[in-house]
Amino acid sequence: MAATDRKEGLGGILLAALALPGLTPYTAAAENAPEHAVLAFKELYYHDYQSGLQRITVNAPSLSLSLPMGTAWGVESSVVTDSVSGASPRYYTTKSGASHMDDLRTAGDVKLTHYRARSAYSVGLSYSTEHDYTSRAVSLDGRWASDDNNTTFNAGVGYADDSIDTENGAADNESRRTWQGIVGVTRVLTATDIVQLQAGYSSGSGYYSDPYKLFDNRPDSRQQETALLRWNHHFKGLRASLRSSYRYYHDSFGIRAHSLGEEWVQPVGNSLAWTSALRYDTQSAADFYVDPPASGSFPTLPDGAYSTLDQRMAAFGSLTFGQKLAWQASPHWNFDIKGEYSVQRAGLRFIGNGSPGLDTFYWYAVQLGIAYRF
Amino acid sequence: MPDTRDSLEAEFGVMACRAQIRIWGLDDAAAQDAIAAGIAEARRIEYKYSRYRSDSIVSRINAAAGSGARIEVDEETAGLLDFAAQLHVQSEGRFDISSGVLRRVWNFREPRLPAAGEIAALLPLVGWQQVQWLRPHIALPRAGMELDFGGFGKEYAADRVATVLQDAGARGGYVNLGGDIRVLGPDAEGQPWRFGIQHPRRAEEVIAVLALAQGALATSGDYERYFEIDGRRYCHLLDPRSGWPVQDYQSISVLAPLCLVAGALSSIAMLSGAQAPAFLQSQHAAFLAVDQAGRLQHQGV
Repeated sequence: MAATDRKEGLGGILLAALALPGLTPYTAAAENAPEHAVLAFKELYYHDYQSGLQRITVNAPSLSLSLPMGTAWGVESSVVTDSVSGASPRYYTTKSGASHMDDLRTAGDVKLTHYRARSAYSVGLSYSTEHDYTSRAVSLDGRWASDDNNTTFNAGVGYADDSIDTENGAADNESRRTWQGIVGVTRVLTATDIVQLQAGYSSGSGYYSDPYKLFDNRPDSRQQETALLRWNHHFKGLRASLRSSYRYYHDSFGIRAHSLGEEWVQPVGNSLAWTSALRYDTQSAADFYVDPPASGSFPTLPDGAYSTLDQRMAAFGSLTFGQKLAWQASPHWNFDIKGEYSVQRAGLRFIGNGSPGLDTFYWYAVQLGIAYRF
Repeated sequence: MPDTRDSLEAEFGVMACRAQIRIWGLDDAAAQDAIAAGIAEARRIEYKYSRYRSDSIVSRINAAAGSGARIEVDEETAGLLDFAAQLHVQSEGRFDISSGVLRRVWNFREPRLPAAGEIAALLPLVGWQQVQWLRPHIALPRAGMELDFGGFGKEYAADRVATVLQDAGARGGYVNLGGDIRVLGPDAEGQPWRFGIQHPRRAEEVIAVLALAQGALATSGDYERYFEIDGRRYCHLLDPRSGWPVQDYQSISVLAPLCLVAGALSSIAMLSGAQAPAFLQSQHAAFLAVDQAGRLQHQGV
């Protein structure tokens, strides 16, 4: 037990480290142990509760009522806009933990963010490579909040330069260049309503075909437009929250898609929360989508004509149902069970006919969660 | 006129980890230069002490193992070797920069326990006490022995990057290299930064938040690389004396004035098993520990 019997006032290991050159620019730093360490158990509990309901909990009454308006807006906006990080008031700045290996071994990226009182600006550069794919991208983002913090605007542009070189020879040193832009606004309408509108546009040219699919020959440019509207409403009397979203998508391949989503989060008692979700998607086929022939041979296409058999380019509709029950049994134990069921078929398309050759596609998922907290 | 109270943040990858620098107190151009110099310093240390580069000082020392040749090292490396020697003594042999050879039988990509004979065969190659270190010369007496600075390289780099940033004029901010954090000073309002401590069993969550205006925070845990067999977790933190993983704590976070110290203390505490709290108390360190049952222990925070 020699190690624990030592009696150095500063700790022997600290003394040993101080002998190293170049570590302490401020002499004061050597003597003062951190003074401002505060253990925030309260926020730990806050996080607990949030996690049990998977990112929706911020709508739960105990939380939204306990937060001042400005902060509530911040928390909400970071939840509803996936692209916003950093600037909104996260409740911790960065994390300490044992290191995780970075999966993108061959990737390098740098993102610089400049924070001002009511705005933040980022510039990002990235490079990544897989065995048949290399991507280089640059992005610029900005976000600005109004003086009362109730409205935030965001805008960003990005440029990506990808190259595709497959081993099967289908794509030989092909490339693709894409410009993207996004603008959005998030606004706190009332103490119980938050809305967000985002619009995006991208324009690319180059290689779009799937090099691993037969009969896949797509145009060499693609323009995409998206619009997204979200609305979160909290019902004080019911203590429940309704999250609604609508997404519109259109591209120059001829695909037009609409998605509608509703989620109802209902706390039951003090420890249960029931979430019901319903989502409907409908889309038209790409102009050059070819239904797989039910029998016989593949239709003869003129030389050089565009074609694809990719199911994602077909016309269809889909319905997804979800239920989730989360139970906070005690401050230590959390249980949740979640089920989702989805059906995707040509006949579910809202307007017009779906692609006849498309097989109905179902999926379901059940997820069980048990968590112990301390 | 640029407001030097604005802060600038950079994220980048180094030493196979995500890293982050955030500083204030400089105008934009100077802040960018400072961050570039900080990133360059981290990369310099990564290259200099990498086991994977045949021209690194570590590779040269290891390549000479058992040959009788003594390698002369530079001042910086000598300082780190002295520090490693101190850690070995004060940890009663638990912290040993020659223990990396155990990786040959502990491969955490597949759940497989090494046979007793496999570990026994490697243990003679482990042991700082065998290393011939007489500043500025070092020699590893047995062929197959290896030194590895991975046990404190990242923490040392965090401190060095902080020094570079402060020398460039940064007045506050922090450096986070894969979870090892060194604080340069509070934010422009004089408020501490808030650091989440990762939940040892749920990667997306934090178990506590610490507010720090200066000093350093490092966490060592059994969740970085591990496998489980029959409900027992075998992690990458190996006791160099037995060759087996430690199993008493899920994670230990330590606060210290330097990241190098916080990192060394958290590693040694993990390797000290049930004696971790006593060891940390003897080193006058503030800590937060999560034991195998998930219970929180803390002192000074």
